[in-house]
Amino acid sequence: MKNHALQPPPARIRYVNPRFQGPAVLAFAAIIAIGGAIFWKLVDVEFQRVFRQAAIRGHYTFDSAYGIIRDLLAWRLAGLFAGVFLAGSILVLLIVAAARRGIGKAVDSLRASADGDLSTPTGTRHIGEFGRFGGKIDAARSDTLASVMAIRIEAAALAAGGIPPAEFRLRWDELKQRIRTIAP
Amino acid sequence: MSGHEAPDDGPLIHRRYVFGLLLRLCVNTAGGVGILFVILFFALSRPLPGDYAGVFHALRNISTFLRPILAISVLVYALLACGSTSALCVYVLHKVAGPLYRMDLVLDQYRSGAPTRTVSFRNGDQIQPLAQAFNRWIGTLRRDRQRWLATMMDAERHCLQDEATCRVKMEEALRKIAEDMARYR
Repeated sequence: MKNHALQPPPARIRYVNPRFQGPAVLAFAAIIAIGGAIFWKLVDVEFQRVFRQAAIRGHYTFDSAYGIIRDLLAWRLAGLFAGVFLAGSILVLLIVAAARRGIGKAVDSLRASADGDLSTPTGTRHIGEFGRFGGKIDAARSDTLASVMAIRIEAAALAAGGIPPAEFRLRWDELKQRIRTIAP
Repeated sequence: MSGHEAPDDGPLIHRRYVFGLLLRLCVNTAGGVGILFVILFFALSRPLPGDYAGVFHALRNISTFLRPILAISVLVYALLACGSTSALCVYVLHKVAGPLYRMDLVLDQYRSGAPTRTVSFRNGDQIQPLAQAFNRWIGTLRRDRQRWLATMMDAERHCLQDEATCRVKMEEALRKIAEDMARYR
């Protein structure tokens, strides 16, 4: 029978990471707001002109104001859709490209770490949120390298000889304990 | 469009995910524009007065109420579109943001010296190669650690013989470990 008290709690799923999603949401909102403002400005000016011309022309073959501006409104709405969707698509592709570049560099860096290179920087400094993430990976690698280097220096010092047996044994045990702390 | 791709672990971000995001964005934008159309249609499709003078004056004076109608309809469009696009962003981008957050926690845990478990992301999450690369790194470190400890324990076994042999074997083991560690730079 499973002892549920001993099982670790399930990992909490986070849907919102304001550092990553926040700027994307703001950028999409800016596109929509700018699109709406341009639409408003254009349509306002053009509708005024079209209604004035329709009033002066005199042949009123329409039932409502909508009948006058139907085609113009359709074109402007199509323009709004195309503009917002294209700008949004470009933003999506930019976000995806930044994510691929930033995370790609982090993956390359972790793969290099597995091959022993713990000192070459991840190189994600100028890719927004990924810069901070790359910094964390670099910090973890740097800690590991410092730990490995300290152990290596101590091992070399002990191997050089000339240490009294009691002290040697003590430092040997300490070294073993330090090796155990690597990637616990 | 593939960008950084891990040949053995698959792409960082799948094309299907990007196309899905673009499709949802398209539907979302179309919905917002559709709402704007409906508001303007109902506001402007009121019948004009029947007689000639009435239509003339209605068209001449339409600007007085056209501006507020446009302002309100565009504002409603902007609010609804911003709201739905924000929800879409949060919903879709969590497939990237979630794993990043998870890796953040794992890296903090690793640096604190706490035992680090193998990282695995949720089903459907993007950037899977990140978890695989991290697991590979930690796996290599653990294998090395085990090898170094085994070398030391092997040397310790000679202590059952005599003190001098034990010391020689221990120093040999230390030299071997120091040489082995030289690959870390």
